[in-house]
Parts: sequence; structure tokens; C-alpha cells
Amino acid sequence: MLVIFRNLKILWGEKMPKVLIVDDTAFMRKLLRNILFSAGLDVAGEAENGKEAVELFKQHKPDLVTMDIIMPEMNGIEALKKIKSIEPNAKVIMCTAVGQEQMVKAAIKLGAKGYIIKPFQAPKVIEEVKKVLGLI
Amino acid sequence: MSEKKLLKTEAEIYENGWKKIDLVLTEQSLYLGSMKILLREIEDLELVTIDNLKCIKIKKDGEIIFTIPEKLLNKIYRFLAYNLRSDRFAVYFLSPATVGGVVVKDVQWEKGYLSITDGGIWFLSPKKQVRISLENLGSVDRDVRTVGGKQRVVLVVSHVENSEVVTSFILCPETTLEMLGEYIQRLIDSQKPQAELTEIEKQILTLIYSGLDSASVESIIGISSDELNEYYDNLVNQGLARVVRIRKELELTPKGVSLVSDIQKSQNIVG
Repeated sequence: MLVIFRNLKILWGEKMPKVLIVDDTAFMRKLLRNILFSAGLDVAGEAENGKEAVELFKQHKPDLVTMDIIMPEMNGIEALKKIKSIEPNAKVIMCTAVGQEQMVKAAIKLGAKGYIIKPFQAPKVIEEVKKVLGLI
Repeated sequence: MSEKKLLKTEAEIYENGWKKIDLVLTEQSLYLGSMKILLREIEDLELVTIDNLKCIKIKKDGEIIFTIPEKLLNKIYRFLAYNLRSDRFAVYFLSPATVGGVVVKDVQWEKGYLSITDGGIWFLSPKKQVRISLENLGSVDRDVRTVGGKQRVVLVVSHVENSEVVTSFILCPETTLEMLGEYIQRLIDSQKPQAELTEIEKQILTLIYSGLDSASVESIIGISSDELNEYYDNLVNQGLARVVRIRKELELTPKGVSLVSDIQKSQNIVG
């Protein structure tokens, strides 16, 4: 895994795409971190609700945000709106479960660039992330 | 034979090798050589491939496998699917509606039947005969969808196909819908593992589904290889996973995949 990471670092130079992971469960954040790391991406930070996500977005200006939809304090849709008002070109991918199609549609209308379905399958996550980052 | 013959053709039956026989289909029976099978006694049906030949597998006091030229095979399969022993309900269905959470384009609502056999559920229409085995069924829920421009309550049935969660929608009068929902739920419950999984076991199951190897699973959960092997043994023993490589690497069975989908749903409900 480390070898792939180093190779991609060489490929992309020192500026590797940075991702902000937003999910209220520590387990899902760990899983996403592992998947993104295996694809050679850098994790800029992790937030466990929408409010924290907006703060971390302002601080780190990540290249991409993976945003869970249902979270306490501030949900993913609200956080998406705030992030888009800060940076209209922000790239946000929504993380959704089967059966939440209506929420995904709402998020896409608000400017989300894509979505990934829970339970996650690593190849699909990597494909969507790379597509939104313009790497494929 | 006093019954009206619908079809007579040469066929081959698989009995420790292929044997040539005559196949005769009537309105009530299927004759394979000297064997008479009443259609209403067929418990279930499946298309299988043996020796690169597309075959029909009939379940009736065991299994009977036969093949005929492909042009006729699909017609006979459809006829048997419509006439086997089942509980059949007139419905509209959309199958598959989503695959892996992505909406399938160019699929239309069809008028037909939901047929429930001992081994699975079927979506039947003149164009389509979709069989979903009970062990691959994941969940059944009510939801509101736009059908023909109107908001309608439908049943959303999920199942596992090629390790992906596939959903199909069923539309029928509301009272039938409720009864069908309960019926399918009972079928799903009958397939669920008896033992409750611990939180760690649920997490391991999710990580395997995501495609992570043992080393990554150990590091995310924070357990040793020996501990992970014990958890793996338990998942394998419960029929949720199978070993695919020595130095255990697992892949989920359909039962395991549908359980991961349930775990995600319950986590999304609680937040």
C-alpha cells in the first residue's frame, strides 16, 4: 500500500489532493481514510458533524469533501450549502445509504459533484473521488 | 396421454451424464422420457449452465436437470415459471430499479405477477422472468415513488446479485401491498442468522464488504491477527462469509452482503 502511495506522490508531485472526511461515526471515517490512503490521497482532516466540517473547510481548503448526509447538529445538506457559500467551486461528494435518492437529488441541485453509496465498496469510492478530482 | 399436447421435442436429461429423451409438454404436465411431472408439483425452477449448456433445473423431490435447443428453452422456462406451484399475485413491478444504489435507466414498469415459491420470489411478465432466491433477499420496505406522474406507495424489495444490492419496486392495491410486504418480510426473517452479531463483528463484516484485506481490518479495528481469525471463524460458521484464500481472506456470502446493507440502514436511522 505504501509503495502505491509513494508512486502516486511522485506522479502528482508534492501537492497531493487533500480530502476532508465528514461522518458522524468514527468507524466510517476510519474506513474512508483507509480507502483514500490506499488510492494515494491525503486526508486533510476529519469532522463528525456539519458544523465542524464548515470550520475545517475554512481552515484547510481541501480539494474534496466526502460528506455524510444524516448527522447530528448540522446535517450534510446544510453543511454543503454553507461550504458552497464560502467556496462556490468546492468539490463535495455526498455519502448516502440505499433509499436516500431524494436527498442525493437535493444535494446535486445544491452543487454536490457526486455521491457514493453506503455500504462503501473501495473501488467505487476511488473511482468517484478520482472522477470528481478530474484524475480520470 | 389424454391431455392436449403443446410441444414435443428432443431433449437431454442429466443423470450422471447426458441422456437423450423425448420431451412432451401438455397443459398440466411435463414428460421427460417416461417421467411425468405435474406442473403444479414443481417447487421451483432455475436456469443453470452445465458443460457449457444452458439448462433448466426443476426442483421436485430433488433436482431434475434437462436441456433443449435454446430457441425452445426460454419458451419452456417461461411456461414452467408461470405454471409451477406458487402463491401468485397480480402486480405491477419495476425490476431492477437500482443496482448498487444507482437508478437503472431504460427499465419500465411491467404488468405481471409476483410469484412466491418455496425457494424464492419471481417477477413474471411475458417479457421477463426474474427469480430471486430466498437467501439473496435483503429487505422489504414501503416507500412513496412517482409512478405515471402520481405519488404512489410501493414496496421496495432489495436483494443481492453479484455482490451488489439491487432493488425492485412492486405496485398493487394498498391492502394487497401490506399483506405482500408482511409475507416477504417473513421469508426474509426465515433466512436471517439466528445469532446476534457483536458491534465488532458488524464492523468486520462491513470492512470485508468494502474490499479491505486482513491487515487493514486489523489496523482499523485494532485487533491482532489471532483475534481477527477468531472473528472470521465465527462469520464463516454463521454462513455470512467464506474463506477465499489461506491466511484467511474472506468474501461475503449473499447473506452477509444483505446484512451489511441492513447495518448501514440502521446506522442511518440513528444518525
